[in-house]
Amino acid sequence: MIQPLTEEKRYTLTPGSEGLIETQTLEVSIGPQHPSTHGVFRMDCTLDGETVVALKPVMGYLHRNHEQLAERMVWLGSMPYTDRLDYFCSMTNNWAYALAVEKLTGIKVPERADYIRVIMSELTRLQNHTCVIGFMLQDLGAWGTPLLYAFRERERILDVFEAVSGSRMMCNYMRFGGVRVNMTENDLAAAKDIVARYPRFLDEFEKLLTTNEVLLMRTQRIGVLPKELAINASITGPMARASGVEYDVRKVDNYGVYGRFDFRVPVGDAGDVYDRYYVRVLEMRESIKILQQALRDIPQGPHIAPEVKLRNFKIPPGDGYGRIEAPKGELGFYLVSDEGGKQPYRYHVRPPSFINLTTLEDMCLGHKVADVVIILGSIDIVLGEVDR
Amino acid sequence: MGFIGKGLFDGMVVTARNFVGSYFDRERLVTVQYPEERVQVPENSRTFPFLVFDEDKDPVGTMRCVACKICEVECPPQCIYIVMDRDEKGKPQQRPKVFDIDISVCMQCQICVEVCPFDAIKMDNDYEKSQYGRFDELVEHLPDLLKSNEYYNRIKPTEASRVDAKLKADKEKKAKKAAPAAPKPAAAPAPKPAPAAAKITIPEDAPFTPEQREWLGKFLVTAPVGVASTAATPAAGQPAAPVAGSAPAGNWPWHDPALGMQQRLDLAKNKPLADLLMAAMAQTDCHACGYDCRGYADAIAAGTETDLSLCLPGEAETENMLKRLMEGSGKV
Repeated sequence: MIQPLTEEKRYTLTPGSEGLIETQTLEVSIGPQHPSTHGVFRMDCTLDGETVVALKPVMGYLHRNHEQLAERMVWLGSMPYTDRLDYFCSMTNNWAYALAVEKLTGIKVPERADYIRVIMSELTRLQNHTCVIGFMLQDLGAWGTPLLYAFRERERILDVFEAVSGSRMMCNYMRFGGVRVNMTENDLAAAKDIVARYPRFLDEFEKLLTTNEVLLMRTQRIGVLPKELAINASITGPMARASGVEYDVRKVDNYGVYGRFDFRVPVGDAGDVYDRYYVRVLEMRESIKILQQALRDIPQGPHIAPEVKLRNFKIPPGDGYGRIEAPKGELGFYLVSDEGGKQPYRYHVRPPSFINLTTLEDMCLGHKVADVVIILGSIDIVLGEVDR
Repeated sequence: MGFIGKGLFDGMVVTARNFVGSYFDRERLVTVQYPEERVQVPENSRTFPFLVFDEDKDPVGTMRCVACKICEVECPPQCIYIVMDRDEKGKPQQRPKVFDIDISVCMQCQICVEVCPFDAIKMDNDYEKSQYGRFDELVEHLPDLLKSNEYYNRIKPTEASRVDAKLKADKEKKAKKAAPAAPKPAAAPAPKPAPAAAKITIPEDAPFTPEQREWLGKFLVTAPVGVASTAATPAAGQPAAPVAGSAPAGNWPWHDPALGMQQRLDLAKNKPLADLLMAAMAQTDCHACGYDCRGYADAIAAGTETDLSLCLPGEAETENMLKRLMEGSGKV
């Protein structure tokens, strides 16, 4: 829409030249049906020429009342719905919810179940980061190639998920006090096979991308998120770490059995799109380290705490917040149980991609429209989680 | 770093290697020509639920589902609809008349399978379910849902053999439990089925097909007073005689889902309140209430459970009867 000319909106293209050209800002609505918005998400950009001078993210197109639904359902009933939050990482969503309930009730998780959860969520991190890099490159115009390589590797991980949990994406695998079915030796062998092969793929992937001149030009010094802003806006996950914030819930909370593994947290310094890409690559390498240790050390034993009832599961009054390091950042579930204890009185999700999205405008100001797309891609959003 | 453009060149090498490799290396070519080629789905793989029956001859008669409605209540998106089958007198038949699953609503979460105490509902792995319509075509009714145990064993051998072993063990346990109770009233009920069966014979010229005749014969033997179902069942006329006093565990003549409500209450006449309450229940031991039938009755009688609407298979009949009994006892 072309705006009527006002005094403030008048820009000069060539200052110093004689006859100043009067220009107008242009409002462009990108999305909600646009392939680069990763779902139904809209950005109201105000452009001066090609430069972004204002940007307003518009969300809510995929709102499905997740929290209210969960308050009308028994505790177990919302477990399959958590799969549909961040549909790329259903395993970590399950874990965050189960962890919150376990904190509320004080259920002890058997050791083997904790190891299985670590294996599953690190595999999830691998496939999420691989795919997000693929999508990001897709946004840059590298049509297909990196994304399809990423999907080829993701397929192998999804095969393991299907063999273990029964479903490729909507796993619904974790239960309060453990996991639904035990991992067999075959499944562990398949996971080991993936872990053994993954570094080779990563090397190849990096050779394709990391030093590619086009990628460097398009991503370095683009969409810089300063460290202070990242902290103030409570950005978490790879995005915060790319800006130099050393914060990883796996290290801070040591939930599950993460305290036992030897791994490092990669931290960037520039906070631009390239750092966000490279932090993810390094994180995958650390995930492989964790997976190797977990697959080596996994003990025998029960996969679920025997005292947990499937039906008529009640929680004494109280509230609890369970959080984990999901691939996109800190995923938390805040649950309140009241007198009856059959359903949550309050059920709140802290979705990492929604909160990471709040700094989109700050990162985009002053860049070109084409960069907005890649900046959005580097945040790694999934609209199922943003809108809930 | 070498020359400018080395990164691009390296990337091209990777692409070329993948392109050429896809002709020789299965690792690099993972696609399958779908309708012609198919990938074997893993055993655990799940799509939509189906109902298991045991014998091919009589799918409806040997289905494991007892219409306890636990899955209907627990299903998160509420896609299951069950109506219990009743005969013309209104007596519950312990099997569903209507069992519908709306697979356009079903989200394949497997919670119905997990909560089913009878191993009656299981997950299929048939993924070719596309239809030309969006409404009636996507509602699966009882005949579509019924699949044999043999089919279940074929698609999920490990899980099915575990279930079979468990069901067999349960059956043996039940038989063992019934055996010690048998000697006491053995003299009375043992000969009874024979005369009952002998008395009611279907006339030769009656207009029935052989299957109907077989079914009727079975029905006429088992149906009146449930003589054949448990050894401990006395005839309706002499309720208190053989099981006087507080009934020992497992010796409840009314604990037989084939009996009607009134018959069960007659059997429990003049017994303590807990026994009467138990007789009002559906006797499936489905644990829909969180107890077995005995436990729920005891909990109500003791006052620890105040909710009288928990018996799902008993429906309103049981709830009303429980209310009446509790009002009669002066406890409510």
